[in-house]
Amino acid sequence: MAGMAQTNTIDGASGFAVAPGRAPDRYFKYWLIAPAILLLLAIGLFPLIYSLIVSFQRVTMLDEDYSFAGLVNYAQLFRDARLWQSLLHTAIITAIALPLELILGLLMAQLFLERLPGRQIFVSLLVLPTVISPIVAGATWRLMFDNRYGPINQILGWFAGKPVAALWTVNPDLVYLGIILCEIWQWTPFMFLILLAALSNVDKSLTDAAEIDGAGYWRTFFKIVLPAIWPVMAIAILIRGLDLVRIFDIIWALTMGGPGTMTETISVYTYVQGFQQFETSYTAAMAFLVIVLLTVIVTWAIRRMGLAK
Amino acid sequence: MKFLKRLTLTAAVGLAVGWTATAWAETAAERAVNEAKKYSGTTITIVWEAGLQALDPLNFSGPKWKELTGIEVKVVEAPIAEMFTKIMQEYRAGTGAYDALNVVPAWMPDLANAGALEVLDPYVDKYGFREELQKIAPTYRDNQMTVDGKIYGFPDDGDTFVFYYRKDIFGDPTNQAEFKSKYGYDLAVPTTWKQFAEIGQFLTDKYQPNMYGAAFFRSPGYGQYMFQERFRNEGGKFFDAETMKATINSDIGVRVFTEMRAENKFMPPGVEQFGFVENLAAFLQGQSAMTLSWPPYGRWAAGYGQDVEAFSWVPKSTIAGKVGYALPPGGHPQLAAGFALSVASTSKNKEAAYLFIQWLNSEDVSMQRVQLPYALRDPFRDSHFTSAEYEAKWPDAKAYLATLKQGAETGLLDLSLLQTDKYEEVLRQAISKLWAGDDPKAILDQAAGEWDAITDKIGVDKQKAIYQGWAAKSGAYPQ
Repeated sequence: MAGMAQTNTIDGASGFAVAPGRAPDRYFKYWLIAPAILLLLAIGLFPLIYSLIVSFQRVTMLDEDYSFAGLVNYAQLFRDARLWQSLLHTAIITAIALPLELILGLLMAQLFLERLPGRQIFVSLLVLPTVISPIVAGATWRLMFDNRYGPINQILGWFAGKPVAALWTVNPDLVYLGIILCEIWQWTPFMFLILLAALSNVDKSLTDAAEIDGAGYWRTFFKIVLPAIWPVMAIAILIRGLDLVRIFDIIWALTMGGPGTMTETISVYTYVQGFQQFETSYTAAMAFLVIVLLTVIVTWAIRRMGLAK
Repeated sequence: MKFLKRLTLTAAVGLAVGWTATAWAETAAERAVNEAKKYSGTTITIVWEAGLQALDPLNFSGPKWKELTGIEVKVVEAPIAEMFTKIMQEYRAGTGAYDALNVVPAWMPDLANAGALEVLDPYVDKYGFREELQKIAPTYRDNQMTVDGKIYGFPDDGDTFVFYYRKDIFGDPTNQAEFKSKYGYDLAVPTTWKQFAEIGQFLTDKYQPNMYGAAFFRSPGYGQYMFQERFRNEGGKFFDAETMKATINSDIGVRVFTEMRAENKFMPPGVEQFGFVENLAAFLQGQSAMTLSWPPYGRWAAGYGQDVEAFSWVPKSTIAGKVGYALPPGGHPQLAAGFALSVASTSKNKEAAYLFIQWLNSEDVSMQRVQLPYALRDPFRDSHFTSAEYEAKWPDAKAYLATLKQGAETGLLDLSLLQTDKYEEVLRQAISKLWAGDDPKAILDQAAGEWDAITDKIGVDKQKAIYQGWAAKSGAYPQ
């Protein structure tokens, strides 16, 4: 009927059709995503804020004292030698495993860059360790390291020509090697995959041109390839670095932080304090110390790696 | 009228006595079943150690209880290292997820003081279980049931370390002659750790690599029990009772640590990594002539129950009929862990849970449970040690039970204080440092310092009261 037809217009701000005479709701899109955002904030922020509050109380196994206790837990952090040792152990593992994973991952990626027969199958097999749960990986390596039933000492014995009784999870000279071997076995494929993708996207015409101009392999790699893959490599280093700082499963399965506390990382010590010793408030304070340290390190790393540009 | 009153009174008293007598004529197990029927249709949850231990409620007691009472039993399995954590976390959460619990007796002071365990005395009196509780072997009854005079759990597992040895090796005339010639005394079950070391070295020199003189589980979790036992047998005391300063770093402690490490030299290579299973495998396969462990080793070494599917992972015994049983050197074995049945204070089915644990722990049912081939519950009642049925299980079963009984009578209680696990964690780390090659004196000095720090944090006077109460028990130190 004449006069009854209406033509809606599209509101540029909200993107929705708006009936004539009606003011557009510019905030409608925010209303739509608000529930999801609030849920994420609740899940993410609430535990953080609650932990912060608990860190200023005195909640232990015997005593649930929720009154404000000041900085007593934070003061204890600086007197806790075991805490700083665990941070040192974490730094050692990260400093050794991360470069090794990077170099091995890069070498493997270079190897698989060319179209080789069976490449897809080999890549799939290489990636398998990454999909295994870390605790399962640790338990498997513990069995492999076992002196009586594990294959590693047996194989070493073949080469040595006599039985080898290397105690990988007890001998202080071997425990770090055992942990790092397991860690590298599991997570080098992660580096490999990311770097393979990055290397695959390097403009071949640049490397071809360099070759024509007489540049050698290493010059080409450091001057052309590395700068091209650096942003992706930096992200991979950051992700793996953070994972290594949080390492728990492999260590728990292999040594439980032993011998003594020799391989106790910050995650292992936090678990022991929080879930075995029930020092709930102190554990919360430890967690915040780690958050602060990591924030500083990550911020520095992001700037240093040029990821902030 | 007066006569009628007297007659009525007499009749009333007679009826009351008769009713009571009838009620108590039924056994504690029967009483539990009859009283529990009113909860038919409900489900109770019990926390149990994961693995073989849990086969009891999963395959035997749970289904049987359901059949008798209509109550479903849901078993929550947890590794022993996590059980305390889970119980405390659930208590703090207050969800009522757990009804009945398995509790290591050394944890009882902590759990009771935290309020996680229900006081059982009212239930015990209501359902007439006191008399049967008195028939639990005294060591377990008097030391693993109460905190501050209140019952918090029923001892349900007669754990004690037993010394197992190869009778055939010890009885071999050639071995006897050679040993006597070298050491000047008869080759027999060692009664001191010095003898143990000499016998172990002798047998290793003669038989390696096919067999070694001895093997022990050396992983820290077990090793700390062995240290507790040996340290006290040698005369050591954990604390100065007046000052509460730790004295584990005394000359005795250092000597025990030094000797423990020296013994590894005549044990199989890699013994430092031996856990329960590795040590069991070595012994059952005839690779060690002496070992120390909980009672199940003795049953499995005799081949008892090895045709059960649940035991497919246990190496078949090659030494059935060749194993002797004795107390460890020193004569006072560690009672090492054990379990008691308790009720969670946050349970929403306390009475049903209580009736289940009364039934489990009763004379009748416990006798069946300790004879299950696949379960790890060990004899803990006087009647278990003299059961004709049990003695007929294998040829040496009578001697085995006699040794367990002796162990129960002379056994040493696990150290039990407030926050015992913190002290034990220090010992576990000390053991692992010992195997790593650190100096024993330095290790124990550090361990003693850590113990003192723990005591200071808990409160010296508070812990002293608990320690003095524990140390006064007959099983705390060798008498």
